[in-house]
Amino acid sequence: MSDRPRGFRGFRRHRLGMIGLAMLGIAVVVAFVAPLLAPYDPYANVTITIADIFQPPSGSHLLGTDDGAKDVLSALIYGARVSLIVGFAGAIISMLVGGTMGLIAGYRAGWLGQVLMRITDFFLVIPDLALLIVLVAIVGQSLRNIILAIGLLGWTGTARLVRSQTLSVRERKFVLRAKAMGAGDWYMLRRHVIPQVLPLMLANTVLVVSLAIISESTLAFLGLGDPRLISWGQMLNLGFTRGAVSAGAWWAIIPPGLAIVWVVLSVTLIGTALEDLLNPKLTRHHLEPEEIVATSPSGAQPVEDVLLDVRDLTVAFEGEQGPLIAVENVSFEVGRGRVVGIVGESGCGKTTTVLGALRLLAPGGKIVDGQVLLDGLDLSRMEPDELRRLRWDRVAIVFQGAMNALNPVRTIGSQIVEVIRTHDGDITKDTARARAGDLLEMVGIPRRRVRAHPHELSGGMRQRAMIALALACEPDLIIADEPTTALDVMTQAQILELLEDLQEQLGVSMVVVTHDLGVVNDACDDVVVMYGGRVAEKGPVARVFREPQHPYTRLLLDAFPTIEDPGRPLVSIPGAPPRLSDLPPGCRFAPRCPSAFERCHEELPPLYVTRSGEASCFLLAEPAFAGDEGV
Amino acid sequence: MRRSGIALLIGVVMVLSACTSGESSTTTSEADGAGTTDGGSSAGGTVRIGWGGSPDSLNPGNAVLAEAYTLYELIYDTPIGLDLDGNYVPELASDWSVSDDGLMWTMTIVDNAVFHDGTPLTSEDVKFSLELWRDNEDFPFLPSYPDVFTIEAPDPTTVVLSTEEAIGNFESRMVFMYIVPKHIWEGETDPVAFDNVNMIGTGSFSMLEYRQGEFVRLAANEDYWAGVPNVDEVIFQTIENPDARVTALRNGDVDMITEMPNTAISTLESDSNVEVVIGDPLAPGLSDIFFNMVPEELCPPEDGVCSGHPALRDLQVRTALAHSIDKQQLIDVALLGLGEPGISLVPSGLGDWYNSSLPDYAFDLDAANQILDDAGYLDSDGDGVRECREEQDCDDLTFRINYPNDSDTAPREMELVSGWWSEIGVASTIQPLDPDTLTSVCCPTFDFDVIRWGWGTDPDPGFLLGATLCSEIDSGFSETGYCNDDYDALYDAQAVETDPETRREMIWEMQEILLRDLPYIIPYYDQAVQAYRVDTFTGWMTGASKVALEDPSSLNVVRPAG
Amino acid sequence: MRTGRRRFVTRKVVFAAVTVFVVVTFNFFLFRVLPGDPAVGGLRDPRLSPERVAALQERFGLNDPVFVNLEGGNLLESQYFAYLGALAHGDLGTSYAFRDQPVSNLLGTALVNTVWLVLPAQVISIVAGVGLGLFAAYRRGTKVDVGALSFSLIMWSLPTFFLGIVLLFIGANWVGLPTAGRVTIGALYDTTWDQLVDIARHLLLPTATLALVLLGEYMLIMRSSVVDVLSEDYILTAKAEGLSTSRIISRHALRNALLPIVTLIALNLGFTVSGAIQVETVFSWPGLGQLTVSAVNQRDFPVLQGAFLLLAISVVLANLVVEIIYSWLDPRVSEA
Repeated sequence: MSDRPRGFRGFRRHRLGMIGLAMLGIAVVVAFVAPLLAPYDPYANVTITIADIFQPPSGSHLLGTDDGAKDVLSALIYGARVSLIVGFAGAIISMLVGGTMGLIAGYRAGWLGQVLMRITDFFLVIPDLALLIVLVAIVGQSLRNIILAIGLLGWTGTARLVRSQTLSVRERKFVLRAKAMGAGDWYMLRRHVIPQVLPLMLANTVLVVSLAIISESTLAFLGLGDPRLISWGQMLNLGFTRGAVSAGAWWAIIPPGLAIVWVVLSVTLIGTALEDLLNPKLTRHHLEPEEIVATSPSGAQPVEDVLLDVRDLTVAFEGEQGPLIAVENVSFEVGRGRVVGIVGESGCGKTTTVLGALRLLAPGGKIVDGQVLLDGLDLSRMEPDELRRLRWDRVAIVFQGAMNALNPVRTIGSQIVEVIRTHDGDITKDTARARAGDLLEMVGIPRRRVRAHPHELSGGMRQRAMIALALACEPDLIIADEPTTALDVMTQAQILELLEDLQEQLGVSMVVVTHDLGVVNDACDDVVVMYGGRVAEKGPVARVFREPQHPYTRLLLDAFPTIEDPGRPLVSIPGAPPRLSDLPPGCRFAPRCPSAFERCHEELPPLYVTRSGEASCFLLAEPAFAGDEGV
Repeated sequence: MRRSGIALLIGVVMVLSACTSGESSTTTSEADGAGTTDGGSSAGGTVRIGWGGSPDSLNPGNAVLAEAYTLYELIYDTPIGLDLDGNYVPELASDWSVSDDGLMWTMTIVDNAVFHDGTPLTSEDVKFSLELWRDNEDFPFLPSYPDVFTIEAPDPTTVVLSTEEAIGNFESRMVFMYIVPKHIWEGETDPVAFDNVNMIGTGSFSMLEYRQGEFVRLAANEDYWAGVPNVDEVIFQTIENPDARVTALRNGDVDMITEMPNTAISTLESDSNVEVVIGDPLAPGLSDIFFNMVPEELCPPEDGVCSGHPALRDLQVRTALAHSIDKQQLIDVALLGLGEPGISLVPSGLGDWYNSSLPDYAFDLDAANQILDDAGYLDSDGDGVRECREEQDCDDLTFRINYPNDSDTAPREMELVSGWWSEIGVASTIQPLDPDTLTSVCCPTFDFDVIRWGWGTDPDPGFLLGATLCSEIDSGFSETGYCNDDYDALYDAQAVETDPETRREMIWEMQEILLRDLPYIIPYYDQAVQAYRVDTFTGWMTGASKVALEDPSSLNVVRPAG
Repeated sequence: MRTGRRRFVTRKVVFAAVTVFVVVTFNFFLFRVLPGDPAVGGLRDPRLSPERVAALQERFGLNDPVFVNLEGGNLLESQYFAYLGALAHGDLGTSYAFRDQPVSNLLGTALVNTVWLVLPAQVISIVAGVGLGLFAAYRRGTKVDVGALSFSLIMWSLPTFFLGIVLLFIGANWVGLPTAGRVTIGALYDTTWDQLVDIARHLLLPTATLALVLLGEYMLIMRSSVVDVLSEDYILTAKAEGLSTSRIISRHALRNALLPIVTLIALNLGFTVSGAIQVETVFSWPGLGQLTVSAVNQRDFPVLQGAFLLLAISVVLANLVVEIIYSWLDPRVSEA
């Protein structure tokens, strides 16, 4: 990630933000040119009688008259001045005080920072309007006092925000480096910390403005505003205490109220937009309705002894410029009791393939073509309820990173019990609980730990728990998605060993997704090498690894150390897998392929049957190479 | 009886007493035949009243707020009452007389008054109560009324009060003397701290239920000695927001409201179910404008700052300022016309004590300019503001104006006043202050030029006229620093004058002096406004000069409509 | 784990206690250091003789040193320690405006009334906000979601008192609902049902005001929280396990998504208090908020001081409760 502060570029594309800015702009202009716009001077004295007050809107008074027979519209226009002055002046004070407190507390994390944070925490629990009322009541109701009081009470939020941001900036490498080189505090703050903190602080200040405006109007409404000034809150106070409700004079109440809403809403929209730009929010989630593949099935018959048969699976994600193909025409089979490894670099569509096969794609992804047959049942077109019953009962998954894959606020046991009871309604809670204990023991976790929460286990233990969870319903097929990635080498080996043992013991079929050829070599019967969302090569591990047919497979093997030949130099593959939005027109691997020729850049190679299985490479179509296997 | 803020206004004049029901000098046809002779037939129903506050204390000695006195008037009786036209009438004392030397007053106490707990009232209770109020200095107001008396109760229906000097205002000293039961109060070691939640009295209503800040429920006293009320129950509900009170009345949630904003009058008048009652200009909240004119030699030695503008000590300046206030205009703008121009510190509501013969200063800016020109205040530098005279320690006629920030009419009033004054070359800076701060700049510090404030008043003029005595400058009761030996002599004389007519003449003369010397300008006397529903209860006392529908005079006689 | 939890709770209780102590001290000095000294203000009746004022000052201990007594003798003979001592006995002083009323009595009644108003509003807004937020998140991107978002933004921008006035206006002028008070005072009900209807009619507008304002925020937070949680890996696990959507939401998403809401409820208590102050003012509701506002208007400093203390301590304690609930909802926090 770049160390440059994140700016507000792109604000102009944020529609709500621009609407807010326009609304605020109108209010500011109105406040500036109030004397030109207002038909009357609301501060001027007029002689009135009972007949003049609360007159409904008319030609001479577009918004009617108030309790003092004054023009509501004019007062409304002048009122913008007070609200905006208090809002912005108060927010500036808050920002200065809160920013300073936060910077110091974050930068000097020692006792000074602690004390400042305690002070902030203290003010956070004080009911602010109550304190505001008390303060203003004691120091007197002048505009200056009100601004000061509001400003001094609004700083806590800013302080907390700035502190946490400063703390995180302080720990960044470049800051530590600069500090190690002897940069002074002030220099550090000015050059490194403040530029990082400022944008966030600005976004926050915008929200403080809206709070300040609401506070001012509330004070004025409670009769604690500056009595000499016309503000919207003051208008509401006078209207409310001097007969507007009983007189039915909505025009004395609704316009000032809506004016407050107008300004606060405008500021809130701007603030929301700024926050969106700084912290782009997730917008999709796992429970969004999925689209089921629309094409008709090919009608292929199930093959004996094949548990999982993936045929021409094509998966696409929604992109800004149309669908992005993540997995294309992928086919492979998993025989009963066999272990299939899917291997390739990151971003080659391995995980997408298996998740796609089980219709567990991330939001926005869908199967656009192909079939997934599990024991002859087509998962890709199955009714959701039917599919739900089948999941875990027949196919379970060991996810990578069990920390996130297990619910952090529930115990391991309860999560296992839950899934057992979901798929077997007859089983009692106690039996399920006993079974959860058995499962944990089976994977090498003491059974008393059923009551442990995920965060109370070590990384390896968590992964074991995840495996126990996967075994809960005695599935036919276990998909292990990078089961060892996040673990240290020793633990990796243990987990792998566990998986192998269990597989042998239970005779379950497995798909292991990994980028580790060693895992494939050790644990798998068959291998599918994927590149750019397509199958590059597949076949029995022993043969494919001994006689790789695809240049990619070959290069992958070269990049990987083997125990048999520890002295062999490792060669990494130059370049990186293609991005989905920018797939090459021909063979996906062509741009990086040392053997690529013209045709490779123009056409997609089909799968050719080879001695070791199947591979997708035009080299295999060239007679010159077809028989020359020793290259 | 401190200066009136809205909340700390003791509307004592509002606190008119329970002249025994039916016998009041009513002139209205609605109250006609509203005698309570059919007492006991409780077809009465519940009168619901919306008011803005809540009694500040159920202990009659402690209260400051008008709401509390409203309750006392309903629950307790006093020896002497005050009717809605301002006349003293018999209450528990069916009769009273003074000895020839003016030093001994004898009251005859009715023999059929019974406390709400069934105990008969005797002269012992009267004696006990008067002494209770007299002897507890920590009660804020009541001690000053009976403080001159020695009290005896020679027999169950007679109370004798002796004084060392003759007094001129015996009746006014008796109208707030709530008679409490001796058998309950004598057990209280600290009467000031007694919360008196049961409020046992002899009045026409008894306490049923009380929730601080929320409501008070009173039940009609079925054994009331002077006639049982027609209704069963009276509920006072606190609705702080004035407009919500008005709405509650229109919706029928309450039957009557005690205070309302003038701005709601036209709304209510257009409602056929509601009758608005506008009283005569009496003065529960006498408003005034006063000047800091304390002479240097009288500046209070301990507290005095005495930063007043020197020109304000010049009568010519004050006279010019008095000519530059259009009182009718103030009334129209600030009170929406509901008031009449004020003139004397003794308000017109005090009846005969009010000097009705005084001619006011005409609103005449030309005359005012002429007075200032003649007095030597000239705008020599042409900036629109007149310069001070050479011998004065000041630059020009720029005055500080302060007013309490809890007054809703003062801002508009003082803007108008400062506008007029600017037309005679007098500049001003206006600053509202909260009542505490205002008190601290006012008196006895005298750190101000001009203040717009107000008073709650007493039925006797002696109270307010005491605020302009030389002797009160150090105490802070005097807020102007005005000092005039002739005036002080008159004050002392009226205090011991027992002949009402002679005393009235003295009081009139004092008002004349004050008007001439202008420590105060009284802008107006405002009018009380109340409203009630015509479809629920009938018989409200609306014809008297004072509007107080929550007074026993109304609540003792109202009955369900239809 | 149990000990971790216990240690966590202990730490939070200690912090709350320290905060309460700081609040108490802050409250004491706030009312003495700032201009307009209330202790003097209350004795500023010119009709009181100087001797009486001196006597009263003596009685209220106003002649003692403010913080600690350095003039020899007992260090603790100061106004501050006298205040602490009185507080320990639940003595908050006597109201200036309601002379024979201990402040604690006034506050007690008002507190009950405020809870009476705030509790239903909180419950309604939490339940509805959580429900609507959940629904909007689940149907993310649909019209329902856009509508819910717009509603929340507008509710957030509406000053509480303004919404209250508008509802009062509508309720009073067109629906005929009561405009003030908790119940019809002194009413005799034929049935319990009548009584409930009467209470509900009085509660409707103020509760609706408070609930609507709170609802917007709860909904907004709940929505984004649910979207976050539903994007988590363990939801994918749950889906892969073949759990039904309703079960995934109720057993896996809801509890985790509630965590930010619980935090918000705690942070929001101050906000709720300010909402109550406004709503009580608009609807003449005899609670703490109205007591505070009228104490301000009457410069009744003992009541103001007491009310402020009560409000602040309530928020601190409620925060404590929420933090303990949080640690129960999310076992991770007590480990930290």
